[in-house]
Amino acid sequence: MNPRDTETQTPPAELRTRDVNAPSETAMADAIASATVKGEQPPATGRTLNVDSLQAYYGDNHAVRDITLTYAANRVTAMIGPSGCGKSTVLRCLNRMHEEIPNARAEGQVMLDEIDIYDSKVDVVAVRRAIGMVFQKPNPFPTMSIFDNVAAGLRLAGIKGVDTKQRVEESLRGAGLWEEVKDRLGSPGIGLSGGQQQRLCIARTIAVKPEVILMDEPCSALDPIATLKIEELIEQLKRDYTIVIVTHNMQQAARVADTTAFFLLGDLVEHAPTGKIFSSPDDSRTEDYVSGKFG
Amino acid sequence: MESGTAGGVAQHELRQRFRDELSSLEAHTLGALDLVTMQIDRSLEALEHQDVELAEMIVADDDRLDGRFLEVHQGILSLLALQAPVAGDLRLVAALLHTIKHIERMGDQCVNIAKLIPITGWEPPVDDELLMTILRMGRQARSEVVQCKRAFTERDVALAEDLVRQDREINRANREVFRRAIDIGDDPDTREWAMTMVMVARAYERVGDNAVDIGEQVAFVVSGLFREFSDSSHVPGSK
Amino acid sequence: MSATTPGLAPISVRRRASDRFARGILLALTLIALVPLVLIVYELLRKGLGAISWDFFTTDPTGRTCFPGQTTCTIGGVKSAILGTIEIVALAAVIAIPFGIGVALYLVEFGKTGKFANVVRYFVDVMTGVPSVVFGLFVYIVLVVTGIGGTFAAWKGSIALALLMLPVVTRSGEVVLNLVPNQLRESALALGAPRWKVVFSIVLPTALPGLITGSMLAIARAAGETAPLLFTSFSLLGTSFALGNQMNSLPIQIFNDVQAPNDAIVQRAWGSALTLVVGVLLLTTIARLAQRRSKLT
Repeated sequence: MNPRDTETQTPPAELRTRDVNAPSETAMADAIASATVKGEQPPATGRTLNVDSLQAYYGDNHAVRDITLTYAANRVTAMIGPSGCGKSTVLRCLNRMHEEIPNARAEGQVMLDEIDIYDSKVDVVAVRRAIGMVFQKPNPFPTMSIFDNVAAGLRLAGIKGVDTKQRVEESLRGAGLWEEVKDRLGSPGIGLSGGQQQRLCIARTIAVKPEVILMDEPCSALDPIATLKIEELIEQLKRDYTIVIVTHNMQQAARVADTTAFFLLGDLVEHAPTGKIFSSPDDSRTEDYVSGKFG
Repeated sequence: MESGTAGGVAQHELRQRFRDELSSLEAHTLGALDLVTMQIDRSLEALEHQDVELAEMIVADDDRLDGRFLEVHQGILSLLALQAPVAGDLRLVAALLHTIKHIERMGDQCVNIAKLIPITGWEPPVDDELLMTILRMGRQARSEVVQCKRAFTERDVALAEDLVRQDREINRANREVFRRAIDIGDDPDTREWAMTMVMVARAYERVGDNAVDIGEQVAFVVSGLFREFSDSSHVPGSK
Repeated sequence: MSATTPGLAPISVRRRASDRFARGILLALTLIALVPLVLIVYELLRKGLGAISWDFFTTDPTGRTCFPGQTTCTIGGVKSAILGTIEIVALAAVIAIPFGIGVALYLVEFGKTGKFANVVRYFVDVMTGVPSVVFGLFVYIVLVVTGIGGTFAAWKGSIALALLMLPVVTRSGEVVLNLVPNQLRESALALGAPRWKVVFSIVLPTALPGLITGSMLAIARAAGETAPLLFTSFSLLGTSFALGNQMNSLPIQIFNDVQAPNDAIVQRAWGSALTLVVGVLLLTTIARLAQRRSKLT
């Protein structure tokens, strides 16, 4: 056979280009590991919350046992688990609200970056200014207008030297509520719908410019559309704050959280990226819970 | 997409991140059809000019399509687990799962063609008419691939159904190639070449079938009904 | 139930009858209970309206028992009694309400279920049951007999009334403060407020309408008490603003007038009673209106 005459048979250049981007085996493994085509994550410039050997008691009841966990900066961490598993208790230990309950106490370390919030020299009130909380039932202060509700944070926390009007507007914008209420800042806070009230509470919380926002089942009293709006808001908020959310609703954790921690009977069973928890968790108890075999 | 100041919630639809992920996944899937188109072009070129080096490149680059399949597959699983899509979104996700499989198959067919080229040797006897038919089939398959991509992107069911018409032509050409190969003569080299060409033709025909299957997925996404556009159990020409 | 009649069974005749019977009994009992109330109002109006006049409100009682036929003798009105009641009760309110609300705040916000708080609650409960004459006697012995600040004095009467009002204000205050949802306190705490600010900036304003209601009702009760005043502020004919001395009051005026031999004076007593009832009614109405503005109930 004669060798091919190459001069008359050169195909077009683009067909001849060897693809330098053809993935090798390791590249394909990376593709699998990177889960979904996820959106951009905000830079981790905020504060990290590190929990070490946390125990919590209600009287003699050892409700939370030896929890060690990191809440990454500028990320959303969800805590899920069946009723009574201790997730709400852990949340309340993070801003020292747990000790407000008679006969309740907590032991262990909770570090906001390098500061242990349980250190005896640390002022509880200062802790709560840095670590804010949004509760399950929207509860704007009933005697106050929308404006006063948002400003209440500043006044109660004794924060001075701040342009209140500007801070209120900033906070309402941050909570996605400004456009809806800017013309009626003087009307009572309780006149808003449930979803708006919850966003008002969020505005109130961020008015004091905390580092971390804790959310205790923030959407369980709201209708589905209001819930989705709050989830959108959480997506935006994590740019500026570290967020910890306790939720009964697993689908919500799946939609909203970067990492998820599963609790059972006071113990931390597993803490992993959300994609892993909901597709192939390590622990069989996690698998059983998320697939609804018990709850 | 307008976003408010100080990180406020943008005034747009809910679950924007989910929508972005879904459309990104669709783009990723359909983008693979461009790769297939390129592989088909290469195969035609290689066939026409007996370019063994080009054939090797086709085989090597199929890794990209395999990788794309794995990425899309993982993306779909993740989307299902984390976002719980329903209704139209769910149909789209299911359709993408089928589609990326068909695309991967198309890639494999191109690889089959590429592997057949060196077998024929450096300078095989060529029956021009047979070769022309095969090249025509290849171009037809390419056009089907382009059309099914457009049909999916635009959710155009009529365009998808039109693929059936085009595919009939490929099928006819395939039968023609087969008949010609039978009557090719006594020369063993020629006969060997002809048998190889029959397999090449079959590979192009399979590419066309996969394109029609993708068209069926378009109909499913739009209407929620799944039906076969053309039933291969029918005797050709009896409809 | 018969298999041939699908659907729901109709009400049995017997059940309907017993239903009507029960309703009838309850209606009858209600009407019987209303009878004395209606009678009281009727008697008040019948006997007291005649005494009401411009002079009734603007002149002091002269203290003279004028007999019919004495044309130059006037008995006067009850101006000093009305003003006296207002002064004494106002002072009592100023003392009792802050203390009462203070105790309620302590019990709800700080003491909660502690041992000391439970003891306090017990004593408050006991105090609500103490007869009003005992308060009067107590102040009589401790302040009047010992001669601290003179003998009878209006302010001593206020103290006796304040002691009476205190447990009422505390009791109702505690109920209202407990109605403030704990979530509000938690929200305020979570924002970084010290406890005292939570109480004074959030809890008190929220509970305010309810607290006002409780205070109004306590005032209404105290305004009509006779026994404590008998031993403390005693009596006086003329209008006085000197809290350090004896002072007239409506209950005392009624007490004195009713025993007089002159019909006109007796009628004046009924007029005073009517005035007192109307005053209490006004206060209760204001209390109700304040309650409606409350966002707690």
